[in-house]
Amino acid sequence: MTDDSTTATATATAAGAADDPSTAIAGTIGSGLVAHPPTAVAPNTGVTVSPVQSPRSRMIERAIGALALVGTVATVWLGIWVTPPDKTQGDLVRLVYIHPGVAWVALYLAFGLAAVSSLLYLWPRTRSLFWDRLAAASVEVGVVFNVCTLVSGSIWGKPTWGVWWAWDARLTSTAVLLVLFLGYLALRRVPAEPEVRARRSAFVALFAAVDIPIIHFSVNWWNTLHQGATVLNANLSPQIHGSMAWTLLLGFVALTLVFVWMLLVRYRIGVLEDWLGANELDLALAERHSEGSGRLDGPVADRPGAA
Amino acid sequence: MRYVTAGYTVVLVVLALYAVQLVWRRRRLARAVDRAMARSTGPLAGPPAGPATGGAP
Repeated sequence: MTDDSTTATATATAAGAADDPSTAIAGTIGSGLVAHPPTAVAPNTGVTVSPVQSPRSRMIERAIGALALVGTVATVWLGIWVTPPDKTQGDLVRLVYIHPGVAWVALYLAFGLAAVSSLLYLWPRTRSLFWDRLAAASVEVGVVFNVCTLVSGSIWGKPTWGVWWAWDARLTSTAVLLVLFLGYLALRRVPAEPEVRARRSAFVALFAAVDIPIIHFSVNWWNTLHQGATVLNANLSPQIHGSMAWTLLLGFVALTLVFVWMLLVRYRIGVLEDWLGANELDLALAERHSEGSGRLDGPVADRPGAA
Repeated sequence: MRYVTAGYTVVLVVLALYAVQLVWRRRRLARAVDRAMARSTGPLAGPPAGPATGGAP
């Protein structure tokens, strides 16, 4: 897998890829997607994949990973050792620098992106397996962040509310979302043609995404234990100031970068899996063919019927 | 403070383990692709796919 081969692949396919919007986006996230010539495009797939990652996308991925690491370390440092304790919450306020950040990534970024990607897959004009792969990657990363949201919230809830868990509207709807997207991931493991799997998954993702606005507005619609919006409230007047506000903001940025890096790597895994899956039969046939050629190239006496 | 430490530890450990798992999965798949490509373009390999010629010239 050399850089030269990457360049050759990209150059050879650039013309065919030009009219596919998903291919252009895929290029920026380092997928190495390659479009068929127009006459060979299957209507329900749009693109096929190349397993080769360009050096540029690899460099972008590494830069995002480094920034995410630095941002996370800075958030932890500021959150635990630099910012002052809160007047009412004391040291527990330090958990607020990561809990809303992971919740933002899981509920809005990851599952929101999965919903949009699923919609774009189902929309006939933008139908491409790129969107399916992006949705799958986003959901998997989102599930990890959702688990972190529930666990960190529970650890904050025990000393604050006196219980690890309460059947509060926001907590319950967030747990329901986790179960729904775990179901999405389970559905993707059911053997099926890529297009069938993509269509099924897209419908499930859209169904699950209905829970996202319910989670967001749950603190307004119901009388909940969970506090209301601190930053993006109805008056758009943040209720947090100074070094606490900056640390919270840095936490959001750092965890967003962590999500983007994980999404890129997970998407790449999807590309490699799809390539291996699509070429499994071809590779087996090639191997069988080479075995056959090897036998026929051997001594004459070895050939069937030579005697 | 122990709840704070526990919260940070759980979140960071979960994210770090998942990140390591992602990198490991990608590396394993990349190696599998490399092996597959090497097999299909090796010296004894014929065309990567296509109908058998059935003895045609």
